[in-house]
Amino acid sequence: MGVDRRKAAVFGGAFVLRLLLLVLFPSLPDLLTGRVEVSTPVTSFKRLQEGLFLYTRNVSPYDGGVFHQAPLLLPIFSLLPSSQGFPLPTVVLYSLIDLLNANALITISESGWAVSGRSYSAIRKHIRWDGVTIAACFLFNPFTIATCLGRSTAVFTSAGILHAISSAVTGKAFNSMLALGFASYLSIYPALLFMPLMLLCYDQRAQTAQTFPSTTVFALQHLAVFLLSIAGLLGVSALLIGDFRAFLSATYGFQLLVPDLTPNVGLWWYFFIEIFDSFREFFLGVFWLHLASYMGGLTIRLRRQPLFVLSSLLGIFAVFKPYPSISDASLYFALLPLYRHLFPLMRYTFFAVSALLYATLLGPAFYHLWIYAGSGNANFFYAITLVWSLGLSILLADTIFAALRDEWEYDNPDVRGKDVKQV
Amino acid sequence: MATPAALPPLPFNPSRVRSYVLRLPLFTRLVLLAILVFWLLELQTVWSVVQWGSVIPEEINIGTMYRLNTYPFIHVGFFHAFLNLLALTPLLERFEAEHGTLTAVALFFGPLSTFPAGAYVLFEKFVLHRNTAVVGASVWVFLLLGSEAIRTFKSNPYFSLGPYKIPTWTSPLFACGLVSILVPNTSLLGHLCAIFVGYLFGLGFLKVFVPPEKVLRWIEGKLNLLGRLPHYVSVDQKTYGRYGVLPTTTAGGERATPMSYLGSSQRLAAIRNLRTNPHFLFVHLPRILSLVCIIAGVVWLLLLPLNDYSRQTYISENALLPGQVHAYFSGSEQHIFRGYKKELEAILEGQTPSGQESRNEEYTPAVSEKIQSVLRAAGLKVATQKYEYTSSGITHQGQNVYAIIQAPRGDATEAIVLVAAWKTVDDDLNLNGVSLALTLAGYFKRWSLWSKDIIFLFPPDSKTGTQAWIDAYHDMQPAFVQPLPLKSGALQGGLVIEYSFDHRFESLHILYDGVNGQLPNLDLFNTAVSIAGGQMGIGSNLQEMWDHNDSYEMRLQTIMRGMVKQGFGYATGPHSSFMPYHIDAITLQAKGDGWQDEMALGRTIEGLCRSLNNLLEHLHQSFFFYLLMQANRFVSIGTYLPSAMLIAGNFTIMAIALWLRTGYYTGSKQNPARPPANAEETSLRAAALTEKLDANTAQSAVTPDSNSVIERKLALPLTLVVGLHLLGLVPLYIFNNINHQYYSTATYASIGVNAILPIVLAASLTRGLTTPRDQPQLSLLIKSFSLLVLGLFLSTLATLNFSLSFMVGLLCTPLSFVNRIDPHTTSRPIRTVLSVLGLVFLNVLSPPVVLLVACSYFGTDVQTVLTQAAFGWDVWGMWTQVVVWCVWWPAWVTGCALLGFSLF
Repeated sequence: MGVDRRKAAVFGGAFVLRLLLLVLFPSLPDLLTGRVEVSTPVTSFKRLQEGLFLYTRNVSPYDGGVFHQAPLLLPIFSLLPSSQGFPLPTVVLYSLIDLLNANALITISESGWAVSGRSYSAIRKHIRWDGVTIAACFLFNPFTIATCLGRSTAVFTSAGILHAISSAVTGKAFNSMLALGFASYLSIYPALLFMPLMLLCYDQRAQTAQTFPSTTVFALQHLAVFLLSIAGLLGVSALLIGDFRAFLSATYGFQLLVPDLTPNVGLWWYFFIEIFDSFREFFLGVFWLHLASYMGGLTIRLRRQPLFVLSSLLGIFAVFKPYPSISDASLYFALLPLYRHLFPLMRYTFFAVSALLYATLLGPAFYHLWIYAGSGNANFFYAITLVWSLGLSILLADTIFAALRDEWEYDNPDVRGKDVKQV
Repeated sequence: MATPAALPPLPFNPSRVRSYVLRLPLFTRLVLLAILVFWLLELQTVWSVVQWGSVIPEEINIGTMYRLNTYPFIHVGFFHAFLNLLALTPLLERFEAEHGTLTAVALFFGPLSTFPAGAYVLFEKFVLHRNTAVVGASVWVFLLLGSEAIRTFKSNPYFSLGPYKIPTWTSPLFACGLVSILVPNTSLLGHLCAIFVGYLFGLGFLKVFVPPEKVLRWIEGKLNLLGRLPHYVSVDQKTYGRYGVLPTTTAGGERATPMSYLGSSQRLAAIRNLRTNPHFLFVHLPRILSLVCIIAGVVWLLLLPLNDYSRQTYISENALLPGQVHAYFSGSEQHIFRGYKKELEAILEGQTPSGQESRNEEYTPAVSEKIQSVLRAAGLKVATQKYEYTSSGITHQGQNVYAIIQAPRGDATEAIVLVAAWKTVDDDLNLNGVSLALTLAGYFKRWSLWSKDIIFLFPPDSKTGTQAWIDAYHDMQPAFVQPLPLKSGALQGGLVIEYSFDHRFESLHILYDGVNGQLPNLDLFNTAVSIAGGQMGIGSNLQEMWDHNDSYEMRLQTIMRGMVKQGFGYATGPHSSFMPYHIDAITLQAKGDGWQDEMALGRTIEGLCRSLNNLLEHLHQSFFFYLLMQANRFVSIGTYLPSAMLIAGNFTIMAIALWLRTGYYTGSKQNPARPPANAEETSLRAAALTEKLDANTAQSAVTPDSNSVIERKLALPLTLVVGLHLLGLVPLYIFNNINHQYYSTATYASIGVNAILPIVLAASLTRGLTTPRDQPQLSLLIKSFSLLVLGLFLSTLATLNFSLSFMVGLLCTPLSFVNRIDPHTTSRPIRTVLSVLGLVFLNVLSPPVVLLVACSYFGTDVQTVLTQAAFGWDVWGMWTQVVVWCVWWPAWVTGCALLGFSLF
């Protein structure tokens, strides 16, 4: 069986493009690594370097309060030659991970779960793109390329999530839970995806096996696998890092309590700079509750389309996470083309895309005015991150509207093609 | 869907509200009026209406039975009345329209108010043994909600939330619970009683109280109510009789055009015609809006010089205290100055070979040595720096000399820079300036009040020296620039001294533009003007406006000159190199023939240094974005930015309009009949759909998509626009990297390429890549994306370099209006003539032609300008070229290609 020509071309093209960018603009990776839009305190490659330096000298990487990432990354990166002298191996590794992610996307797309599930099948399912196109959309997305060259460790989380989904749609529920465990181990928030992912696994099982496993048993089994995988990874980490408590508070504590308010594209930093300290705990709770609450609502309402719930949740995380970056947006944009059949139902695509483009251009400009030129201030940049979040939210709301509309037409065949208004 | 004509209608249409209010039926009006009257009655204090009319369980007896009917009209306070009115109006209107006015009167004065009140009294008094008074129309609101809910329940029994099914009849209960939680002082029991009666009514148990139709008809006939009363709803013409479909009962998805206006006037009708005319909405309106934006943007700029829009300058930073100290630089210092000048002149004489007419004014090592020895003798730490730049095949090299006075009262964390270049901006010998700086160095060294280090920098020329020095100061130097052996703290400000002639001067000319249009803080400029003018009595000029009489024309001219300089983004003096590092700097040039001597300039510099020395933090208080129209008048960014934004906005408006047009509206002629290609496509898709759907009969007639959006083919337009923008990198590379002698050739070559490229592009698109039926949409989409990107870049640019954005935007304005000429409406010869004319016009506005025209207008040579530009790109980090080749040029090519389409 020959390898699909188009797929080979897209993958080869994407790989060569990344290497070409590195060769043509040798300063580009370091420039991108320094950008707040690409690197956050929990994914920054620079901070990883710091941790690596300490780790290779047998000092706890969490000493000094710079490194906040999972310790398992350290042995992997200590195998690679120093990225200062030899940037190529690191970029090759990141590019390969991008290709793996694209491959997972192709698997997801070809499974057809985006258009038809166990108890539901989209009306317009004949309007769709094939897997290679979707992979190309992901691989040639400037945000993905920037994340790859910026060597943000968020790509490992993305890889975990995408492989969890691709294993789920191909019936490998066990692998799926392991992959999700890996992603959650790296950065907590993917744990919120457990519910819809478990439902996806359940639907897949029920559809293929034609037997209905007991829901409770199924859920408990998978929860156990998920928890055990995290526990295993934590155990390995404990072996690597002597001080387990310091490790927990430096990584998960850091992600949950958000002490570092370096600007990023999200909504948290400005708010928590402004808030009085006495209200900090309360609003921390509110913000996390807000982020987590979408999981339940969407899972219940869109029970019949668990994959869509997963995609929308990733979009919501890209807006409301404590440390979001463009890599989260690129993950959401990677899954969006799976819903090509919903595009005709969406109404504000052009406006949302325009808002995102404006934010993409004005964000760096205003950051420059604030930090380098000194002629702007923090409000400039924050205003643009608001526009960015607005653009993403419009896109999210619009896709969810389109999905609901599709479901509604599926349920009520007599209203197909009629006008409808959202109130 | 009937027509794909109009835009998706507005969610809120004021005219519909108006017509709705005008159509309210009689009884509803009377009730609303009564509520209003009772509310007004409560405003007096003599007679308590609430006490009189509310339902108070203890007070109910035979004599006070009227309370059971009056209480719904009475409210406590404005908000109570207002909210109930809002809630009641649609419900009551619907009820009356369905049952007729007479029935409504009978029911609402009878059972529908007494029953809930009665139930409430019984329950409150005999079960709960309490005595809470109730008033308000909310009883009717909940009653009607209850009956509506029962009706909904009959047609649509469940409301599903995930797997759970909630019966719809419970919805009023939820509403009631919500209201009692959210609104204080509401009677939950009263509302529940009302809902209960509403359920009974909805289920038909209260039918007995409805007067028989025969009786009603008889009354109506006898009294001729229909003829006498306005807005009366007859028994016969209940629901669908007089008003057509009521807005409360949405009839499926059929979006009716806005309902006929009652009492419509001619004007309204005209507006409505425009609103429903798609050709106007999609073709003419965007053009008008774009044109209005452009005109408004230009007019806005022209208004700026007026007194109402500009402001007097003022010092924001209190620490500066300009001119508050006495300047001691005078007397014997003048002898020192003359001594240094003589010594330097002697060196210049010495290095000139005998018999030569003019002096050799080169900055030779001997000069450098002399400067160093003077500085060393004054007790300063001295260092040198060699540098070399190569651009367009020309090598610029030199050696900077600089010296540092360490602050007696500081800790070397902050510093001020004084620059005296050997050659001025105009390439004259700056002998007086250098001598003055040397004198000041010795003079400042003796003072003990400095809290910041003072650095004296002597670069050999005004273009490269400061750039090399400031780059090295921040360790950002390229390979051929030496690092600095000696450094100080963070630079707080920079002053450049230029005095390039031997006679006395009249006024100071202040240069303030930085690289890429960045400006120093306005406070620095203001301080210089106020010290020179207020303390020394020296006038200040800017932008080479020597006789500024403060008239409108002069102000406008000053602004324009400033904008041109800012827009080109080149370094106007040694100070410009400081700006990218966020160091505010200005150049002070002595100009004219007057009675001010070098001592006055020295005292001005001293005053400025003293002011900067006072600074507690970096200059930040005042404006960084401004347009100066005179030494003491300016406009700030908030006032002038809208003009550039309006110009950039015109492209965005057009882009959005074109996007909508490609999706909703297919062209002027094809309405109402869709173009055959499209109809074929839709029927194909409809067929495909019906195939998939399991024999759903109702489907085939209607278009499948809800908003009947036409599918857009995005791949080709997107690739084309992105590709053209990337193609801009090719001329960018060429114009920055070839040898300087080829620049004129390259310019003419690019004019030729520009003339051919769009036509080739258009030909290959029409002949090779597309089918004719895609072409209208294709050209519109290409234009839409191209203008979107242009608008995007220009509005971003407006925040960084206002003037450049404005100028490029203005030159691009024709691109909003050029389009592929429709082959259906215009015959071929006319089309060809029109498009050729358009192409010629656009070619006049192409980047290289504009460059040539500008060069001949300013009387310079293209080669010089382009060499300077390449130098700016290589040394100063200027990015004007990027804007020209990667923003303007691609948009221009796209515009030409669209015109070129019409040729084929």
